[in-house]
Formats: sequence, structure tokens, C-alpha cells
Amino acid sequence: MVKIVFKFFIVISCFLIFRGLVAEPLLDGADFDYGEYLSGQCLTCHQNSSDEGIPAINGADAVYIAKKLILYKNKELENEVMQLVASALDKEQIASLAIYFNSLEK
Amino acid sequence: MNNLSRRSFVSFTLASTSLLAMPAISTGSARPKVVVVGGGAGGATAARYIAKDSKGAIDVTLIEASKHYYTCFYSNLYLGGFRDYDSIGHSYDNLSANHGVNVVHDWAISVDSSARKVRLGSGATVSYDRLVLSPGIDIKYDSIDGYSVEAQTKMPHAWKSGTQVKVLRDQVLNMPKGGTFAMVPPPNPYRCPPGPYERISMVAHILKEKNPTAKIVVIDPKNKFSKQGLFMAGWEKYYPGMVEWIDNDTHGGIKNVNPETMEIETDLDTFKADVACVVPAQRAGAIAMNAGVTDGDWSPIVPASMQTKADGNIYVLGDASVASAMPKSGFSANSQAKVAANHIRGELTDSRVFPAKFSNTCWSLVATDDGIKVGANYRAGEEKIEVVDKFVSKTDEGNAKRKKTYEESIGWYNGITTDMFS
Repeated sequence: MVKIVFKFFIVISCFLIFRGLVAEPLLDGADFDYGEYLSGQCLTCHQNSSDEGIPAINGADAVYIAKKLILYKNKELENEVMQLVASALDKEQIASLAIYFNSLEK
Repeated sequence: MNNLSRRSFVSFTLASTSLLAMPAISTGSARPKVVVVGGGAGGATAARYIAKDSKGAIDVTLIEASKHYYTCFYSNLYLGGFRDYDSIGHSYDNLSANHGVNVVHDWAISVDSSARKVRLGSGATVSYDRLVLSPGIDIKYDSIDGYSVEAQTKMPHAWKSGTQVKVLRDQVLNMPKGGTFAMVPPPNPYRCPPGPYERISMVAHILKEKNPTAKIVVIDPKNKFSKQGLFMAGWEKYYPGMVEWIDNDTHGGIKNVNPETMEIETDLDTFKADVACVVPAQRAGAIAMNAGVTDGDWSPIVPASMQTKADGNIYVLGDASVASAMPKSGFSANSQAKVAANHIRGELTDSRVFPAKFSNTCWSLVATDDGIKVGANYRAGEEKIEVVDKFVSKTDEGNAKRKKTYEESIGWYNGITTDMFS
């Protein structure tokens, strides 16, 4: 019985780690609904219909999105529009956007 | 709470709420009704977001006279030959097919705000629980002595996209060799602050190739304009000696225009043009006036929601609103539409309402592969929409960066039109 419980624990842990949802502090406090609302600001430019000039980000890895936004926020990546957008986002908002865009179909 | 369980919890909560709410929304007639007037960057976005995000819980009707919408943004690029006309035209088919928006191609004639009904050109009425007005601008034809509805074929304003821009392009292409193109920009506040100056750039771009001895004279009712240093440096770089910009203090004021003689009279001088683009003063679209939600020429709004100050059931978006620090642009209207859509859903279906967040970027094209931009973030203050932070392109940033900015604007055009019409 202990063995079964242990196996179950391992499987669940692997699943959650695989999804990047447990051991990733960048995504702490993420709120899916809030991400959906905030995404409106991004969707004016970022759409799947085109990758020309502005990258399509739907379905991108959540941690990747969060890291990029933090780099823009810290002005370590260039682009005035993105620096402006990211500068107005706090940690929870970045995490919320990251999980929301990750959930969208590529 | 980790994210997986939060999402599951949210889904479960939504499912439970839907079940509880079933009796209220199971019949079409019982669904709350939102009517949106005007299918531009504000209205099409609002209709799409309310329908999409409420997942059928709200009955959305979009009233728009045109079957094909030609965007004002990028109409200057059509004028300059960088886009073909069809590429700036869009249909509303996907809003019905993908989101169940009831698109009615008609004019909204009047609003009875106490009965909450909109009367259409056909004579039919549509009732609403919440009304979104996004009518854009009306041209104040009588704001320039000598200008009129009839004058607009001789001296096109071309400020609402569509056929007027076609007329202007034909006139520029057929201008006599060595002729004069005159531009009269509008006084503040007006739709698309950098628009007149991007237009001058696009006309200069055509003339440089097809009519290099032609001149452009800009008779401005203002003493300064958006992205002025960037535009003027661009004109000097790409079209040296072609563009003469005359500010209001220098010419002393525009007294009148004469479409028959193609003359523009100021205190300083009378300018004779071969082609003239005359853009008069503007005001909120007539339906906002009719609904009684304007104060003077524009409609004051509550910054946190875009509800009008005059009537909480009526929202005004985009050019027609007094959005204070936000310019009258398609990007602004699209941004405001999302704030309003979130608020309306909250009011009608008890969905979560998040704090208003606004943004805007205006890209302009100065010459081939030379794009510039200005942008800002905004917050909802108590009385006004306020700037949080802003940026503008730099004069010395180099060709590679300018090319990238232009390419970014193409991405934005594809993005915003997908956000409005898909």
C-alpha cells in the first residue's frame, strides 16, 4: 500500500513538474482570469494570424513568457513598446499573463 | 493555491455558476442585451470581446452601416502606394460566425435612453441593457468658411478612410507637373494626431518619384504637432526643399477656402493649390450627440469603465470620448473597448471586473522602411485618464531601427484587425 501511494506521489509530482507548475516561483500567484483580461493589451499586436514584425506568442512556454517580460521590465531587452507594457506589470500580472498565453492554441 | 488547482477551481466555479444561472439565460429573450453602435476599432472590439468572453451569456448586436470597413489607420499607406485598397478592407462575417454577434448593417438614428432603445434607419428599434457608442468622428463642415459637404470632392478631407482617400490618391497622381499640394490639418482635438503629417510624408513619397518638381505647403491651424521633430527631420532627409510647413502664428489664421478656385486664404497670403487636402475640425459622431451623452463636441466618460458621465447604461469609446491624455486613435479605442467589455460583463453577468488598464502606440511611416512611433501607458484617475509612462522614437536612432519599427507596425496592423474582426 505504501508503495502504491509512493508511486502515485511520484507520478503526480512528475506531472506537475513537467507542467512547470510547482517548482517555478516565477509563476506564483498566477490568476488565469486576470491573465485573460490582461491579455487584451497584448492581443492588439500579438496574434496568431501573423508572425511578421511582431511574434505570435500563443501556446509559448509559461516560464519563457514570464522571463521575457521580466527582461523587458528591467530594460535588458530592447523595444520601447514592450518595455512600456512590462514596466506596468507586477509579478502576479506577469505570472497571470504567462499561464494564460501558455493555455492558448498555437 | 497552485495554478492547476486554481484553474480547476475556477472552471468548477464557472460551471456551477452557469448551472445556477441556467434558468435565466436558457431562453434567448432572457439574456441581457448589449447594443454596440459603430464597427470600428472601438465598437468591433467591444462587440467581439463581450460576445467571446461571455460565451453566449450576453446577446450582442452590432449596428454598423458599412458591410466592408476600411480602416483609417494605414489609409495613408494606401495613399502612398505601400498598401493596396483591398488590404485595408475588412468584413464583419467572422463576428457573427465565430462569436454569435448579431451584425445589423444600418444607421443608428436616435437613442431613447429612458426606454433603452435605439432606433435604426429602417425604422426598427433595438432595445438594450447596456449601450456602447463608438461612432468615431463627424466632420464639422462649417468650421472652415467656404468648406461644405459638396466641397469634399474638390478638397477631400479623406479623414474617415474609404472612398475619400481614393479620391485624394487619384488627385495626387494626376497633379500637374511642378504643381502645389496644399494640406490644411485640423485644429486640436482630432482623430489621429500624427495622421496629417504622415499624410504629408506619403504624398511627398509619391511626388518625389512621379512629380519631383512639385511642392507641398502645409497651412496649419496649430503651432506645433505630434512627433514634429521626427517628421520635419524626415522631410528634410528624404524630400529636401519639397515641404513647407507654415504654423498658425506665421500665417495668422485660415480665413476661408474656395473649392472652385482651389484657394486657401490666410491673414498672410492666399495660397493657390492644384490639389488640396482640407481637414476641418471634428466632433463626436452624431449618435453620441443624439443620445445626450456629450458635453460640447465630445462625450465625457468615467475613466475606470468608459461609462458616460451622463448615463451609466451608455458607454462611449474611442474618438467620440473625452479620454483626456489618450489620443484619438484606433489603438486607444481598441484598448478602451476591452476595459468597457470587462465592466459590462461584470455588470450583466457578475463576472470579475479588473482594474482599467489602457495603452496606445501610434506608428507612422515617413518614407520607405522609415517608421517612427510614440506610445504611452495610462491609468484611470478619479476624473481623467492619466499618463503613467511614455516613449517616442529618437531622431538619431539609425536606419535599421526605423525599418524594424515599420515592420512592427505591419505586425500591429495584422494584430489589431484580427483583434477586431476574427
